[in-house]
Amino acid sequence: MTFTGTVGKICMFPLSAIIRACVALRIHPNILTATGVLINVAAAWALGLGAFVWGGVIIIVANIFDFIDGKVARELHEETRFGGFFDSVMDRFSDISLFVGLIYLYAEKGRTDYVIVSALAMMFSIMTSYTRARAESLIPKCKVGFLERPERIVLFIIGAFTNRMAAAMWVILVLSIFTVADRIYYTWRELNGGIDIEEELERRLTEIREMRLSTPRRMAR
Amino acid sequence: MIKRVLTLPALVLWRTFFWTYERATWQYDLLVIVILAFIWLTPPAWLHDPMARGVGLIQWIARWAP
Repeated sequence: MTFTGTVGKICMFPLSAIIRACVALRIHPNILTATGVLINVAAAWALGLGAFVWGGVIIIVANIFDFIDGKVARELHEETRFGGFFDSVMDRFSDISLFVGLIYLYAEKGRTDYVIVSALAMMFSIMTSYTRARAESLIPKCKVGFLERPERIVLFIIGAFTNRMAAAMWVILVLSIFTVADRIYYTWRELNGGIDIEEELERRLTEIREMRLSTPRRMAR
Repeated sequence: MIKRVLTLPALVLWRTFFWTYERATWQYDLLVIVILAFIWLTPPAWLHDPMARGVGLIQWIARWAP
């Protein structure tokens, strides 16, 4: 059992109760999705005002809705293709609104450096989702790269509660860039007959090594 | 295998940048620890954090260390 696995299991206890309550009340999953976005907008407002602790609390509440909507849909047998599409689109609105809140805050403080950092983090965060969606229209699966939406949201929450949002923004920016690069490389590899850059590198390095080994022998002759 | 031609640090860097591990693996845990260490230990002044209050853990330890 890993540390993150244990944390995930502990968090699932209250979430399971909320899911059961939503199923009992037969709340439509799309309503949960839309509610999650609205609460995320409120979280963005709090971040924009610099009220990080409140922002963190509201992000948690909003993302409970985001997390349970799919599971409630499954329990109610109301999984639809439109539901999946609607959820993905609303997730992007939620993501962007949080970044906009921070961009507003840093602009208000006259910190153009962090306006740029937050804007770039927003750009690459959206690109992680876009590259996967576009890749999966060409190949069956493109689930590579570390920074997906749950990680991003947890970073926002950690940054907000511990008042270390700038560091969290840097982490989101750097890891989003790597995630986008991973997905582009993976898609290229899959579309080119599964060429593995590791195997290719090994083959070329072995060739170079063999050439080096054979050169002095020839000179000795 | 690539392990024969790449040195261990290069291999670790490659596997970190080209991330293919699932959640709840020890590799995932390790990266989470590195990220949390960066967020909590880096002094906010180093990053010119406009919102952070107080010093980071490194500065706090340095202040109290003999």
